Amino acid sequence: MFSMECMTEPPTRQESRTQFNEDWAATVIGLLLLVLVIVGVIPPGLIP
Amino acid sequence: MTETRTETRSTGLYAALGVVVVLLLGAATRFLEKNVPTWFEGDFAKAVEYPVYAIVLGLLGNAILTATGWRERLEGGFRTEFFIKTGLVLLGASINLKVIVTAAGPAIIQGILLITSVFLFTWWLAGRLGIDDKLRALLSSAVSICGVSAAIAAAGAVQAKKEQLAYTASLVIAFALPSIFLVPWLASVFGLSDEVAGAWIGGNIDTTAAVTAAGALVGEDALAVASIVKVTQNALIGIVVIALTAWFAFRIERTPGARAPGIGEFWARFPKFVLGFVAASVIATWYLSTVSSDEGKATIAVANDLRVWFLILAFVSIGLEFKVSSLREAGWRPVVVFGSAAVLNLVLALGLALLLFSGFTV
Repeated sequence: MFSMECMTEPPTRQESRTQFNEDWAATVIGLLLLVLVIVGVIPPGLIP
Repeated sequence: MTETRTETRSTGLYAALGVVVVLLLGAATRFLEKNVPTWFEGDFAKAVEYPVYAIVLGLLGNAILTATGWRERLEGGFRTEFFIKTGLVLLGASINLKVIVTAAGPAIIQGILLITSVFLFTWWLAGRLGIDDKLRALLSSAVSICGVSAAIAAAGAVQAKKEQLAYTASLVIAFALPSIFLVPWLASVFGLSDEVAGAWIGGNIDTTAAVTAAGALVGEDALAVASIVKVTQNALIGIVVIALTAWFAFRIERTPGARAPGIGEFWARFPKFVLGFVAASVIATWYLSTVSSDEGKATIAVANDLRVWFLILAFVSIGLEFKVSSLREAGWRPVVVFGSAAVLNLVLALGLALLLFSGFTV
């Protein structure tokens, strides 16, 4: 049987929660940036 | 209480410093991408694209931070998943909605066939080698669906240990790094069209960031198809996670009174950035229909510049996050399982890409 002696940490609920929060954060920030580009707040030439 | 607060504050500070390191390496990547072709003559310097600089600089940064003892402290800022997902949402803006709709059918068929066969093969092989059931679930999900994100989702479903997740994530990255260069090279050796190469990359390479890096090395059309295929696989995580939750509750752990997971669980596990990717395509497709072609192209080019920045930050983070130590701890059996599954995935994904995407145009 495969084993790792140091496996004493609690389950990874926290990681999955962070993961799904990052999902929403990425969605909101990505769409917000796109809208800012479309309405001209971020004009051509501003991004290096 | 005060100690906990101080600890949280310093963790946040280190994470912010980690983000600064990622941004600096990202800026260096952009600098190299723009200037190296002017420093050296010949095609080679021009052919090296931003994913290569970003990953190499990330690995260099990793080596320096590890040697100086700073890597662990700053790793809270190496947000590969966040950067890649934001980049993918922005990528949606450069893909016409019609392309997503047309590619969705073959991408779903490819996704279902690949995930089912590679998952079941990995589960079987890991069982034959006596690997722990939870690690089996993590390895099978990671190699068949979408690398680190799938491993994280599966870890939540089967209540895996933190070390098992860290180990699986390291394996994913160890296999993904060479694939970023190997698969685009093989695609050119086989003379595949950009679309088929993209479908192969999206179907075969595990982690979404590496798919994007490899797709970008082949070209914009390959990147578009690779992303659609990978985003489709990401969307299928929810179904696999529900199946795993039920399997572990009823068959492996036999939890008394366990309830079958429902639609709420599916929504909780569904990667929301997929919605952002489609929404960005809808917004951009609508916008382009309301302005002149030149104005539309100039505006979408700005969104593309932002997308490249986020992808660079994700690739730098991949290099920074890579850890050899957790691979050494687990021994050879999971490596054999993961390697065998990766080879099967490579061959199956090529066959399905040829079958489903030959003749497809972006």
